[in-house]
Amino acid sequence: MTRLARVLLLLGSLLALALLYAPLLVTLLFSFNAPRGRFNLVWQGFTLDNWRHPFADAALSQAFVTSIGLALAASLLAVLLGGLMAIALSRARRLPGHRWIALLLALPLTNPEIVLATALLNLFVAINLPRGVLTLLLSHSLFCLSYAALTLKARLAGFDPALELAAQDLGAPPLQAFRRVTLPLLAPGLLAAGLLSFSLCFDDVVISGFTAGEIVTLPLYLAGAFLREISPQIQVLSSLVLLISALLLVLATPPRPERKGGGPPG
Amino acid sequence: MRRSPKPERQPLWPWLLLAPGLLWLVLLYLLPLLGLVPLSLSEPLSRFGLETVFRGRFATYLEVARDQGPILLRSLRTAGIATALGLLLAYPLALLIRFRGGRWQPLLIGLVVLPSLVSQLVRAIAWSTLLGDHGPVLGAIGALGLRDGLNALGLLRDGRLLNTATAVVLGLTTTLLPFLVLPLVVALQRIEPRLLEAAADLHAGPLASFRRVVWPLSRPGLSAGLLLSLIPAAGDVVNPRFLGGPDDRMVANTIENLLLVQLQAPRAAALTLLLMALVSVVVLLQLRAGTEELPLP
Amino acid sequence: MPAVPHPRSRRALLRRLALGAAAAAGGPALLQACRGPQGNGGSSGTATGEGGGELVISSFPLYIDADAPGAPGSVARFRKETGIQLRYLEDVNDVRQFFARIRPQLAAGRPIVQDLVVLTSWMAERLIGLGWLEPLPLEQVPNVRHLSPDLRNPSWDPGGRFSLPWQSGIAGIAYNIKATGRELRSVDDLFDPALRGRVSMLLEMRDTMGLLMLADGQDISRPSWQGAQNAFNRLEKARRDGQIRRFTGNDYQNDLLAGNLAACIGWSGDIAQLALEQPDLRFLVPESGGVLWADVMLMPRGARHRREAARWLNWVYEPREAARIAAAVQYISPVEGVQPILAADPATRELASSPLMFPDAAERRRLKVFGPLSESEEARWEERFAAITEA
Repeated sequence: MTRLARVLLLLGSLLALALLYAPLLVTLLFSFNAPRGRFNLVWQGFTLDNWRHPFADAALSQAFVTSIGLALAASLLAVLLGGLMAIALSRARRLPGHRWIALLLALPLTNPEIVLATALLNLFVAINLPRGVLTLLLSHSLFCLSYAALTLKARLAGFDPALELAAQDLGAPPLQAFRRVTLPLLAPGLLAAGLLSFSLCFDDVVISGFTAGEIVTLPLYLAGAFLREISPQIQVLSSLVLLISALLLVLATPPRPERKGGGPPG
Repeated sequence: MRRSPKPERQPLWPWLLLAPGLLWLVLLYLLPLLGLVPLSLSEPLSRFGLETVFRGRFATYLEVARDQGPILLRSLRTAGIATALGLLLAYPLALLIRFRGGRWQPLLIGLVVLPSLVSQLVRAIAWSTLLGDHGPVLGAIGALGLRDGLNALGLLRDGRLLNTATAVVLGLTTTLLPFLVLPLVVALQRIEPRLLEAAADLHAGPLASFRRVVWPLSRPGLSAGLLLSLIPAAGDVVNPRFLGGPDDRMVANTIENLLLVQLQAPRAAALTLLLMALVSVVVLLQLRAGTEELPLP
Repeated sequence: MPAVPHPRSRRALLRRLALGAAAAAGGPALLQACRGPQGNGGSSGTATGEGGGELVISSFPLYIDADAPGAPGSVARFRKETGIQLRYLEDVNDVRQFFARIRPQLAAGRPIVQDLVVLTSWMAERLIGLGWLEPLPLEQVPNVRHLSPDLRNPSWDPGGRFSLPWQSGIAGIAYNIKATGRELRSVDDLFDPALRGRVSMLLEMRDTMGLLMLADGQDISRPSWQGAQNAFNRLEKARRDGQIRRFTGNDYQNDLLAGNLAACIGWSGDIAQLALEQPDLRFLVPESGGVLWADVMLMPRGARHRREAARWLNWVYEPREAARIAAAVQYISPVEGVQPILAADPATRELASSPLMFPDAAERRRLKVFGPLSESEEARWEERFAAITEA
């Protein structure tokens, strides 16, 4: 590769990383800021106090907890429903309507969230369902469903059903064969689908904005809060999430042993 | 579970597994979506009441197309620009991770995904600080003497960066990057380094190698990434709201406004459906352009 | 050096520090002395003396004296004195969005969770017209006698049966004198090309249009479509020319502080509070006039806790309580007798002479209330306004 190409490659990558991490660094920086007033927007001075009291903003912490609970519930639901669909679709290819079902599954992904949000709000108003925890759960589990199902379907595509059949040959009843052979192998895929769903739910603004009613999720709280106050705790909690995730990432991804030619990731 | 189902008798079990998910999709997605159609053709009975009466009023679509058409097109254009910019940055990064990442690939991929864990609102606020009138980016631009040039190009508005289309595109691109890099890396996995070596042996420069080897083989991943980026970008609310000015609002902001502030549900429904139609056209064009990687069987 | 308090109370602390350390010590004692012969703690003369019960109130954020370390705010003290479990929600960020939230229930005749809601007067007028409000239990609110006379029969609620004012305020011109480089004099300054791209205006239509129409010499107490055209056109041109950076809700404050705005249309109390941390900020009521608005307390139809709501209304209309709230938010209190209370306390004496909180007769003449718009009129106005601000 020529010098120029190498430089461009490096430059482009650095620019991409800079774009990705610039806002995070600013957030981390401002978590140490001591704002004079209500808005943590202008650098005033360094302090560790915000980190000493990360939960000082009670409403923020409450919204944080609410979001976590909601995202957990919704992603579990999505992975469950989506997982079942993925199994059915990948095992029963000659099912009539297979293509239509797969299309229906992929369709939500082709709409921006605002389309789903409008449709869902209209539905809830029409059937007189008050906006709250139930509507939030239903909405979130829906839009995560497609992501979860398709992630798992891709995983299952590479999975050899012969393994499970072998277990059955050895005398295991079908359910047990599934539980002891397939499920553990599916585990990383389930985890990936779950994490994807979780992060989508956690950070959702549009759908929550329409279907949350009185419930205050973290993004909704932030959207309102930014109008009147930006407490440093916001930056602290965000940085905390980031640092913990980074730590988990480093721990969970030991360097992969070098493979000849670099095959598909493990 | 049967080992070899007879061809005539369809097994029941797949349907049992599919049922709950299908129920969800039909009741919470398909039907409500279809329900937007009659709503878009209705009229509100009173200004503040909830009831609408179906009148088969197609004029709503014409009004929406006339009033909100510009925003709709502008949103797609902004999303397109952000996606293109994102691609320009995602390719080098993906190439680096794939061909130079070695043992650290999973970690590097994780690093690309990590920023998505911080709330998009927090990131938008951080950008507004960075791009503010007294912020570091504008300061650097001034110090490098680029201000007038960028102003002339229309990238700055009166020497300002915040509350401009540029700021919105920057914010959008940042949000989209992980969704572009990841599918690219996966697609690039298929390309054996030996292929590139062979190309080099045949005296192909880096550009030619890219054009003739990397680009065609990575197309499927590219398509997947494009769809995962363009669609959410077109419907973004946060970046226009925090980083844009009155001229930079996007269609999702308008739909929100129509629904929650102006209380014009039929108009909101019509605009939503128009957006969906336009996006679907883009999706279909993508599919025609040839891709096997789309998550369809 | 004392530990830096949690940010929400930072403002309260700053105010105390700025106005004199006597506040924490002298304040409560002084106000205690004002109690007079009413006896112990409780608010005077409610029908029943027993405590307990629940109450849910929704209001604008940061619109009440919040808790500070060592000095509980109104909500905490109300809870303590009455034993009522008050849930005070600060979730009214945008009046129109709040309306959209409560609309489905109220339109269907079902109650909402709130017993009291604080909304702007024009929204109150709309809700009264829709029949979605209960008359307030004013017979259980003896302190209503402290209501300022010129608010007793408001245009948005003739007879004052459904609403009780919370605070009033002025929409005027807020600016950073260092950023503008000079004192501003009139609404025309907002259109000064030198300030291009560093000006914002409010999404609150009546405040923005009101100010602009007053500058045209229009009478906004009887707003007419014809009379508004010049203001609309001027606004539209300014937006297209790039004069206006953004249209905002409360968040003009962010940009003022960060230096992204030189001048904007803003609210008097906000600037009074912000000026504590950014002394370059000024607030101007233009010669042509400022827009006087009122936020009012309303009871939605089907509210369950009338008795408890009455106790709250009575509580916040007790002059000494009203004084605490006024000192915290620095808007115009609807309760008479607040000014002398603030004047008597050295910590708050400055506030007592603030023209923004207690405009004198001359200043009052420059303040105008935006008159009512019929439903169809409002639709027309809002559509034109939205075309300028949203599209």
